[in-house]
Order: sequence, then C-alpha cells, then structure tokens
Amino acid sequence: MNFSNNFKSSLDIAFKDLLYFWRMKMLFITFLMLPVILMFLFGFMFPTVGTSNIYSGKIASPYSNIPIGMVVEDGGELAHSVADQFKQLTSSTGLLKVKDFSSFEVAREKIVAGELKGVIVIPNGFTEALKSNRQAVIIVTMDDTSSQLAPAVYSQILTLFKMISNGVSASIIKNYGSIDASFMVEPIVVERKNLVAGTTSTFEFLAPGFMALNIVMGTLSGLAAAIAREKEQGTMDGILVAPVSSYAIITGKVLAQTIRGMVQAFIVLGISIAFFGVKVYGSFLLMLLIMFLGVSSFIGIGIIATTIAPEQETAMTLIMLLQIPSMFICNILFPIEQLPKWLQYIGKMMPLYYAADGLRKVIVLNANFNQITWDITVLLLYSIITLTIAIPLFRKALTR
Amino acid sequence: MDSMITAENLTKKFNGFTAVDHISFKVEKGEIFGFLGPNGAGKSTTIRMLCTLTKPTEGTAVVGGYDIIKQPEQVRKVIGLVAEKLILYPQLTAVENLKFFGKLYGLRGKQLEDRVKELLDMVLLTKFKDFPVGGYSSGMRQRLNIVRGLIHDPKIIFLDEPTAMLDPQSVQFIRDLIKNLKKNGKTIILTTHIMEEAELLSDKVGIIDHGKIIALDSPENLKRKYNCESLHEVFLELTGRTLRDSASNNMHIRVVRGF
Repeated sequence: MNFSNNFKSSLDIAFKDLLYFWRMKMLFITFLMLPVILMFLFGFMFPTVGTSNIYSGKIASPYSNIPIGMVVEDGGELAHSVADQFKQLTSSTGLLKVKDFSSFEVAREKIVAGELKGVIVIPNGFTEALKSNRQAVIIVTMDDTSSQLAPAVYSQILTLFKMISNGVSASIIKNYGSIDASFMVEPIVVERKNLVAGTTSTFEFLAPGFMALNIVMGTLSGLAAAIAREKEQGTMDGILVAPVSSYAIITGKVLAQTIRGMVQAFIVLGISIAFFGVKVYGSFLLMLLIMFLGVSSFIGIGIIATTIAPEQETAMTLIMLLQIPSMFICNILFPIEQLPKWLQYIGKMMPLYYAADGLRKVIVLNANFNQITWDITVLLLYSIITLTIAIPLFRKALTR
Repeated sequence: MDSMITAENLTKKFNGFTAVDHISFKVEKGEIFGFLGPNGAGKSTTIRMLCTLTKPTEGTAVVGGYDIIKQPEQVRKVIGLVAEKLILYPQLTAVENLKFFGKLYGLRGKQLEDRVKELLDMVLLTKFKDFPVGGYSSGMRQRLNIVRGLIHDPKIIFLDEPTAMLDPQSVQFIRDLIKNLKKNGKTIILTTHIMEEAELLSDKVGIIDHGKIIALDSPENLKRKYNCESLHEVFLELTGRTLRDSASNNMHIRVVRGF
C-alpha cells in the first residue's frame, strides 16, 4: 500500500467519522453549544474591567451597588464632610450603596445577616486628630467570607479614601502658600500604560487559553470516544482487516477530531470578538499552526489512554482525569504563579501550557515566529515523542 | 488442488492459558470449510489469527498464498470477514457503509458505485439503500453485513455464525447466498453452532475442542466413522453431552478486563 492510497484512506476515515458525528444530531448540537455556554459563562465571570486611575477619578470594578454600612462615631464637622464626600463619590460611580448605622455592632449584625458586605467606621477623635495636625484613622471591616469580593471592594474603598485624603491634604497645603499642592501630596505619581494599545479586556487574556483548552480537550475526548466506540461496536475489526496501515487509521481519526476541535475554537474566538471586545492582533497562520501543534501534542496521549482502556467510559474518565487538572494548572483559568512551585512545574510539563501561552502571545501581543519558538519547539517535541509511542501501541492493543 | 489456507502449529496463549493449541489444517480452493466447536473452544481466536487481527503466539498460517505474520497487508487484500458482531455503522445508510469500506480497499468512482449496486441487488436491499442501518431488521442488517465483507470480491471469505438468531426466511436466503459464493469459486470458512447447517453446506468440517482439532473430514466420512446418523450426533459424540462449563474442572474463564 503506497503513501497516496494510505492518505486517501485517512481522508475516507475522517470523512466517515465526521458524517457519523453529523448524524448524531443531539451530540452535534451539544458539541456546538458547549463553547458558546462556556464562553458566556466565563465572559461574565471575568468581566471586562478597565484600569483604575485615582488621579483622574476613574475607578474600574466588576462590581456595582455593593451594600456597605457607614458609622460616623465622631460628631465633628470634618468627619461628616469626609463621610459625605465618600457617599457622593460612590453614588456618582455607582460602585457602592452606602447606608448609615448608629453603631458598629448594629452594622456588624447586618454583615452576619448577609445584608452588608462591609462597614466603614469613622471613630471618635477623627476631627480632633486632623485639627491638631495628626493622622486621622478610618476603620474598615469587610465580610471576609466573600473571598473574591471582599478584597476587591476593600481596595475600592481604599482608593476612594485615598482620593478624599489627597483632597484634604491639598487644601491644607494651600494654606502654606504658593507651592504646587499636588507636588506636596504625591511627589511621585504612577501611571499605567496598557500592554496592548486601546482598551484592554481581561477577556483578551482568557480567550486564547480557552481556545487552546477547547481544541485540545475536544479533540482528545472526541478521539477517545471515536476509537473506543468502534472498538466496542466491532467496526474497528472491519477497518483493521482492510489493507490500511495503522498510521492511516490514526491520521484519519485525528483529522476528523482536529476539524471538530478547530470548529469549536473558532466559535470561542467568534464569541470573544463579538461579545467581549477581544481583538486578534497577531498572524492568523501562526494561530492555526499553534492550534494544530497543540492538538498533535495531545493526540499521542489520547491514543495511549484509549487503547489501554477496556471500554468507552473508562477511556473518557481517563481523559477527564487529564483534562480537569490541566484547566487549573496550565495557566488557563488562573495565573500559574498562584500555585505552589511543584505544581507550577507539573503545569509547565503539560503541552496545554505551551499551546495556551503561544496562542495568547500571538493573539494578544502580536508575537512573531521567533518570539514563540520555545512554545513551538516544546509542542513539536511532545507530538513526536508521544506519537512514536502511541502508534505501534495502537495496533498492538487492538489486535491482542 | 491448491490450498487456500494452510495452518501450521497455530497457537495462541492468553496469560498462560492456551486458547488454540498447535493446530494444523488445510482448506482447499473452492471449498466450504465448516469450522465447528463448543463455545470457548478456540474457533474465534483461530479465525482472528487467520484474519491478521490477532498475532499467533506460535506457528503460522499461509492464507491465499501469503504468510499471516510476514505479509499481513497482502493477506488482508484477499480475505473478507463477516464477523459475529456486525461491522456496520448504525447511523450511516447502507450505501454509505458499503462505500466507506469499499474505499478502504481502494475502490473508487464508477467501479465502487457499480459494486455497491451489485451487492445491494444481491441481498435485495436496494429499496432501503438510503436508510440508516440502525433502523434495519436483524435479517436485513445481517444480509448487509455479509455483503460488506464481500465488497472487494475476496477469494477467501470468513463467515462467523452468519445465520445466528435469524428467522427461517433469512436463514434460507443466506444459505443460498453461501452456496452461490461457492459456485463462483470462493473459498469459505464457516463457523456455526447449527450442525444441520454445517452438514448441509460444508465440504469438509474441522471440529475444535480445548484448542485442538479433534476431527477433520467430510461430514459423510465422519458420520460413517462414528456410526452416527447426523453431524449433530457426531459432534456430541466427540465433544461430550454435558454442558462445557460443568464437564470440566479446570474450565478457563477469561477475566473480563477491568484494567
């Protein structure tokens, strides 16, 4: 059997698999829905947030109208003026909904009851401290049981008081004469310039990771199902008994699944562009190359898992075992830096890490081939090594 | 006569258990060879070895002039397999199924179209050719399953229980089909548990038990030799009348692979 015949057989097998998939209408629809649902879910979970700039009064936050209690213990006029300024700032930005309470204890009860997310206390002696040229203190208590929300809202409150504090110090300095007040308050100013020009979207960093995840995992579980199903049905015998090489069978199977995975990846990309403000800055061809290498780097692993598994469900579960952790340790959902060192090393041993990294660099940062050589090299090496092990194992396992 | 199949000391062991134990036999060209034996005797394993789906542990066989170990690709071109499990995709139509497998054998274009049409006519399924096979009755499915194995017009055909669990009409149709194949010069290896069928169709039968061939002759000669009225009687005479699992103390059960 020569090369061209084998290649044709691969195409036939791929076409048959896709036709089969097309006929399984419910599976097909679910397959198309999956990336749509996933993208909208994560799109809203990680909303597009710009950058805060306290100097221009711009505050970016994914949250709005968070209920916060305010207790003004101090009777002085400055305490009330600070409280009023704070309320005004929050109501104009819509970030917080501030309600007054008579004491910290009453407000604390409300946190426990789940009605408030935090309490701001302006304690006794606030006005006096300012008047006698001492630092005045404001005490903030957050509902620490809301692990994601509490720190985010706390930092907003901090930013708001920083703005008020700057205003207060500027007015104090003015009394001393002609020096530039803003220079006195903050001689050094930090301004943030975005890595990518124009509006930044958090999602821009997430979308490429999801694309990588989708193609790699979609292909992997699709391949596992396609091989295991044929093994169980008995149709695999029909293919194995035909004069077709193992390479052609695997190539065909992989081709069909890769096309499926690519379709999903483009749905992910399309939704990201249409609804979440993602832009593709880099080369389309380079993007395809990484997607293709991402798939091929996982194929060997998929084949090994499928051929050693006795039936379909075991094969799928084996794949899941690989899939779920890699979502968390391959820099897809969370920054890998959050993880302990040893887990980071494991994450960096997974090809998915490099596929996501490469895609992210190409899509968001417009990286050229030279800038992602390392990603490409790792993926290529992975592909070669795993396929070298997997292909002989494939026929051996099926003809035991 | 030239042999189409020559098995020599063909042996298969699974984890120390010998499923097929040094069997040797010949099947001549144009013959229907009835390959008989109780459940678990080693029939299917032998057929899988001859079809290159399982590698022998020892020994070899020459099928259609090619060695099953050294020239598996050549063997695959000359054999057709009709396995016990249907080799059909239920979601695809009869035409799609036949065309897919035809292409794997290198058939293309008009040649393929004509062959598919011819085979569908042969088993009277032309009317239903564009329906997914999953909706077919068992008889229709088995008829299609048989011609699927014939798509590339193989010289040697393996039929593994082709009439199991079918209605009498389907059984009759398939038996006639097998006779026709023989008439066209095909060599057929037929396994069945229906001894009447084996007696009716086979030129020669081989009875395998505990991995060994215990009888190899024409049905007539066997009946004469064991002084029995039917092949059925011969079979029971040779393999015992008790159930296989209760007859033996060390009946081997292959563990269902959970790992």
